[in-house]
Amino acid sequence: MRFTTIYLLIGFLLNINFSYANEIQTENKIAKNLRCLICQGQSVHDSDSEFAISLKLVIRNKIEEGMSEKQIYSFLKKKYGEWILYDPVLNRNTYFLWLLPLLIFLAGGAIIIKKFYIRK
Amino acid sequence: MASLIGSYSLSFGLFFSFFITFFSIKNLKNSEVLDKKIISFTLLQFIFVTISFLGLIISFVNSDFSNETVFNHSHTTKPLFYKISGTWGNHEGSLLLWLLVLTFFVFIFLLKSSEQPKKYRIFTSLFQQIIIVGFFVFLIKTSSPFNFIFPVPEEGLGLNPILQDPALAIHPPILYLGYVGSSIIFSSALAAMVSNYVSKEWAKHIKKWVLISWIFLSLGILLGSVWAYYELGWGGFWFWDPVENVSLMPWLALTTLLHCILVLEKKGILASWAMILSIATFALSMSGTFLVRSGILNSVHTFANDPERGLFILIFLFSLIFLSIFIFFFFQTNKKKIENNFFWLSKETSILINNWFMMYFLSVVLVGTIYPIFLEVLTTNKISVGPPFYNKLMIPFLVPFLFAMAIGPKLKWIKSELEDKVYMFLFLIISFLLSALIVKKFDVSFLINTILITSAFFLFFITLRDFFLKTFKNLSQNIAHFGFSLLILSILFNNIFSTEVITNLKIGETFKSEKFTIKFINIDQENRKNFKAIIGKFNVKYLDGSVDFLNPELRIYNQPNIITSEADIKTNLFTDKFITMNYVQNQEYFNVRYQEKPLMIWIWISVILISLSGLLSVLKKKI
Repeated sequence: MRFTTIYLLIGFLLNINFSYANEIQTENKIAKNLRCLICQGQSVHDSDSEFAISLKLVIRNKIEEGMSEKQIYSFLKKKYGEWILYDPVLNRNTYFLWLLPLLIFLAGGAIIIKKFYIRK
Repeated sequence: MASLIGSYSLSFGLFFSFFITFFSIKNLKNSEVLDKKIISFTLLQFIFVTISFLGLIISFVNSDFSNETVFNHSHTTKPLFYKISGTWGNHEGSLLLWLLVLTFFVFIFLLKSSEQPKKYRIFTSLFQQIIIVGFFVFLIKTSSPFNFIFPVPEEGLGLNPILQDPALAIHPPILYLGYVGSSIIFSSALAAMVSNYVSKEWAKHIKKWVLISWIFLSLGILLGSVWAYYELGWGGFWFWDPVENVSLMPWLALTTLLHCILVLEKKGILASWAMILSIATFALSMSGTFLVRSGILNSVHTFANDPERGLFILIFLFSLIFLSIFIFFFFQTNKKKIENNFFWLSKETSILINNWFMMYFLSVVLVGTIYPIFLEVLTTNKISVGPPFYNKLMIPFLVPFLFAMAIGPKLKWIKSELEDKVYMFLFLIISFLLSALIVKKFDVSFLINTILITSAFFLFFITLRDFFLKTFKNLSQNIAHFGFSLLILSILFNNIFSTEVITNLKIGETFKSEKFTIKFINIDQENRKNFKAIIGKFNVKYLDGSVDFLNPELRIYNQPNIITSEADIKTNLFTDKFITMNYVQNQEYFNVRYQEKPLMIWIWISVILISLSGLLSVLKKKI
């Protein structure tokens, strides 16, 4: 009986530690993908400005409230605009951003094959 | 006084451009040999620009605040070293440095090209003069480093403290040697087209210049990256920041050119493509200067900017691009049809694959850097393009690229067999097992990391084996590719294994984690030449009982009054221990950031290795 209690207790503690560590990881991951709006090209994670510190707190609170990563991004996007996200969302404005390099890659491949490998 | 001499000397320098142009055009029609006067005048122009530059340095050293540039960027209490480096730590001075290197390089070009056709040499010098005149006018009209202030101020405004750093003091000159080196490639490509000299000989001749620019550009980027790592305090070395990107783009174009020129040299094909790359490299170098100097970019590295100056560079840049496009189409001769007499498995194919992928990487960086600017102008929507974008678009393509880098150099021209299949397969298995074993231990996404590390290990082992096996057929290529595998491996492991702790500590407090404890012992104060240092004394104890003493600093500079945070870094072959501290507003706590960054030094070593391989190739006498 005693062993079971201790076992459960340890398990419980470990579990809390584990989820806590996970939360920090998620927080860091999110903070790395956000622009510190008052800095010059730094992420929220990398910055020690007041803005960044308070935003990190916001992120932590939202995680504790049970929001998912995606929900937090969209929450921040609503509040601060797309400018804050380092990972631009794929939408009408960014089709070209995401697809142009890939199109260039395909076009490049096509040109090379047509020019050098298709014998007339 | 020194300013005055510098100012006059600069104007005199511009005069020589007209002499050079005059004699060049005259020489073009008349004789068969290059007029010695052109070389002499080029040398004189270089000397005058040098005097002008020295004049500026002396004004900085003497803290002559009647000079506006010195007043804006210097201070009497600044250490001598930073007074000197302050000369190019600002817009005006850095442009004068551009000009200095421009005139120097064209002089060296004329000296070193005596075996080349006269017409080609003259045209190169002429095109280079167009660029030189552009920079002269830009300097004298919009950004003269020699403006006078009256009454003379007592004290200067000082240099941004984060620029007061040894790596950043030599970063601009090195980077500019690379940038400006590409101007020679540009001029020479245009000259080669005009004088119908795009040939194997031209490729052989210009390859040295490509290599030299490439080496300096690589080292320049390295210095900037090292500086960002220890000075900016976040412990990262590359942030896909626009200003970093604009130095990477010419590098990518130059690396592509370096491979393409090999095919031109050996097989006489891909000539037009080499022309386009030569033009693109310089255009990218120029737009790098434009984007950094114009203030369009929001970035940590933008220090001096002014939109009107940006406009001048933009117009100048567009004129040069139009000129080159015109020349490209006007002088394109219908040469004999491309003899595509090579097969799928050949060195030609492997180099085409290199060019293809490099252009893709370049387009990712280019689109990622300028798309947000265009979007904002067109739709007023502000978006950020950061590391996740680049990672997503580049990493999947890196895998086949690394494999191609391993196999490509083994192939022969025209038609080849894949030798050593057994070994390759063996290395592939070993690389995979090794990667899977390493990645499994860590809580990171398994599949993508394993595949990536496998491809990097594969390149690593293959190049290593070639190094020991081959009778050094192409040592510099071997070292460069090996260096690249080392670079990718170091970056990947650094990324996966880095640990970081951010905490607030009071003096005397201890932070405990599973692997180490950080003790904040006390703080010290010291008065240095132009700042007061607050030095934190920390010790970090590890599980195995070893202890590191780390002393990060806060520096309170007198002029301008700025607080900077200096990281303390303990480096060894395996890992870097990196600590910074910062004030927490109105509290006795300090914000402490401790990081362990494995294999950090190998990132620097591999870039040095890659640059060295370029040097090796320059020094090599024959093929």
